[in-house]
Amino acid sequence: MQASRARLFKEYKEVQREKSADPDIQLVCDDSNIFKWTALIKGPSETPYEGGVFQLAFAIPEQYPLLPPQVRFLTKIFHPNVHFKTGEICLDILKNAWSPAWTLQSVCRAIIALMAHPEPDSPLNCDSGNLLRSGDVRGFQSMARMYTRLAAMPKKT
Amino acid sequence: MDPEEDMHDARGESSQEEEDFYSEGYPSDGEDEDDDGDDAGYDFVDNDSDDPSTDVRRLQQNYTTLNEENISQRQADDINRVSTVLSIKRWEACVLLRHYNWSVSKVHDEWFADEENVRKTVGLLEKHIEMPNKRELTCGICFENYPRDTMKASPCGHPFCFSCWRGYISTSINDGPGCLMLRCPDPTCRAAVGLDMVDSMASREDREKYARYLRRSYVEDNRKTKWCPAPGCEYAVEFVMGSGSYDVCCKCSYSFCWNCTEEAHRPVDCGTVARWILKNSAESENMNWILANSKPCPKCKRPIEKNQGCMHITCTPPCKFEFCWLCLGPWTEHGERTGGFYACNRYESAKQEGAYDESERRREMAKNSLERYTHYYERWAANQSSRQKALTDLQALQNEKLEKLSDRQSQPESQLKFITDAWLQIVECRRVLKWTYAYGFYLHENEHAKRQFFEYLQGEAESGLERLHQCAEKELQVYLEAETPLKDFNDFRTKLAGLTSVTRNYFENLVRALESGLNDVGPSNSQAGSNQAACSKSSSSKSLAPGKSKSGKSRTGGAATSSRSGSSRGMDDSIWTCDSCTCTNPKSNSHCQACDRHR
Ligand SMILES: [Zn+2]
Ligand SMILES: [Zn+2]
Ligand SMILES: [Zn+2]
Ligand SMILES: [Zn+2]
Ligand SMILES: [Zn+2]
Ligand SMILES: [Zn+2]
Ligand SMILES: [Zn+2]
Repeated sequence: MQASRARLFKEYKEVQREKSADPDIQLVCDDSNIFKWTALIKGPSETPYEGGVFQLAFAIPEQYPLLPPQVRFLTKIFHPNVHFKTGEICLDILKNAWSPAWTLQSVCRAIIALMAHPEPDSPLNCDSGNLLRSGDVRGFQSMARMYTRLAAMPKKT
Repeated sequence: MDPEEDMHDARGESSQEEEDFYSEGYPSDGEDEDDDGDDAGYDFVDNDSDDPSTDVRRLQQNYTTLNEENISQRQADDINRVSTVLSIKRWEACVLLRHYNWSVSKVHDEWFADEENVRKTVGLLEKHIEMPNKRELTCGICFENYPRDTMKASPCGHPFCFSCWRGYISTSINDGPGCLMLRCPDPTCRAAVGLDMVDSMASREDREKYARYLRRSYVEDNRKTKWCPAPGCEYAVEFVMGSGSYDVCCKCSYSFCWNCTEEAHRPVDCGTVARWILKNSAESENMNWILANSKPCPKCKRPIEKNQGCMHITCTPPCKFEFCWLCLGPWTEHGERTGGFYACNRYESAKQEGAYDESERRREMAKNSLERYTHYYERWAANQSSRQKALTDLQALQNEKLEKLSDRQSQPESQLKFITDAWLQIVECRRVLKWTYAYGFYLHENEHAKRQFFEYLQGEAESGLERLHQCAEKELQVYLEAETPLKDFNDFRTKLAGLTSVTRNYFENLVRALESGLNDVGPSNSQAGSNQAACSKSSSSKSLAPGKSKSGKSRTGGAATSSRSGSSRGMDDSIWTCDSCTCTNPKSNSHCQACDRHR
């Protein structure tokens, strides 16, 4: 508990210091609870998520960093490895391939990479996985783009 | 080719574990048998028994039971061997062996074929890299700075502080046996973290857990060893591949098939067992009623509970009707039709003579074509529960009855071993007999000659066993209840010991015959006939080699010489039944082999 708090505090200071180091990721620690974080990540360019901003929620276990944080999308996203309803993410480094040397920052980077390179063979979102697996890339992209526009872009009023 | 590949078909391989197979009429073990199995064995050319080498091989068990200490010792030996041969550290040898499922030869092969590739796969660095040479280093997990000499690293040189290492190792150990393949925490690095790191940093509790996983892995990931499947048993059994029968008997006394880990099931093969178990579970609902312990007496209709092991049931007074538990027919009518006086194994005859219409339910089942299965299942299950009962009886015998008997008959308990032997034999025979019903169920219906021969052998086995079971169960009772003249008790001893050895021989031969697929039984009748002769001959002859007799009386082993003459089709030509003790004897014997009375 003490160790995870200390480690999270180090990550917090690092984030404050390097605010502009990675313009695609903006990590924010909950004011009252260092075990709750959120992040805003930019959809990678040349993907159907380009132009969108996606919010992630982190719940960090007491054994962090020996155990991985739990992360999910708060913003709706149409992606084969993200559960459409709950935002749960299927990503190996968040499970058995976790290394305690990873940080919340590196988790965000891995999620951005996953957005650019979906793994249709381990789908949490079957519709989306099936589109890709059947080779309907255009169908997939237009769905993903539509949801990006609907959920991840500032509403034009 | 790897001989350890996959499941092996047990049929066609024969056992080498018996010490004393006196094999007149059967081929010697191993020798002329090979993987295409089915055409091997079961011919009756006199082709061995004076080659001493085969006898030596028979004496060698093809498996070893290992306790915890043995397992650790073997594991340590293997690790030392690999460590010496490859000139690597012991922990490195351990990582290597784990990766190649504890096969020393595989480790050697892979290593000498491509050491670099093996090192890369397993995470063993050839050159150890020192931690960065600075006074203070940053731990890669907690990101704190510590003096260099308080940090530790795998040979990759990635430094982590002591408490982070400890947490990292502990998390992995508590996550399961994957801890045996632990790698450096740095995600870009695949360097192995082995036993030395665990031993130098983990808590005592974690070290013990790790050692347990290591031992478990040595048994479970190793193709040569398996845990004994008996509940609560902690022994493992190491098996020598390709060495014959898969039946092994753990030191805890549980017998199981090493190949499929079901209970021992000779003479049927693993595939048949799997099919049979599947079939049983599919039919389980229909079969529940059959297993019920009580049936109405066929004469007075009162419910009778079967509380004895043998199938010969006598209704309570005043009815006292004697009937067969299996077919509910009168015991006296048992004979040729049902497979023998003591036997009730024939499916066809029972069916044809309409013995199956005892209830509406059965007729319904017949309609559903379950009838055939029911016949076999009922007998399979009856032998199973009879075996259970025999085990219980054996226990009671050992716990109290032998002592009582010893008092009553003024015999030292050491002189009563023949009774325990009889019961052990009953337990084993019930097991074999049980599986012959699965065998029968899968025997092709249109292989008439084979089926006929099979049912003959099975019927003989069943009568022999019933005789033994009755003798051990009911006749023993007399001597438990009252003092009797010494001569009577000695007669009982002679009879029971004789039945035990005759039955043992018969069943051993039966197992061999069935394992060889009854292959010599073809369309030719004369061949089938001579088979039978050979079977009854060798079955009754073998145990009577001098010195084998449990009663200590010396008898002639004369049967070995002849009875090949009795090769006619008639089932009983080659044997005669003793009027005095009902034991079956080869024609060539002028005296009963069990009680020594003249024919
Ligand atoms: Zn540390
Ligand atoms: Zn490393
Ligand atoms: Zn055991
Ligand atoms: Zn088996
Ligand atoms: Zn009755
Ligand atoms: Zn019967
Ligand atoms: Zn006799």
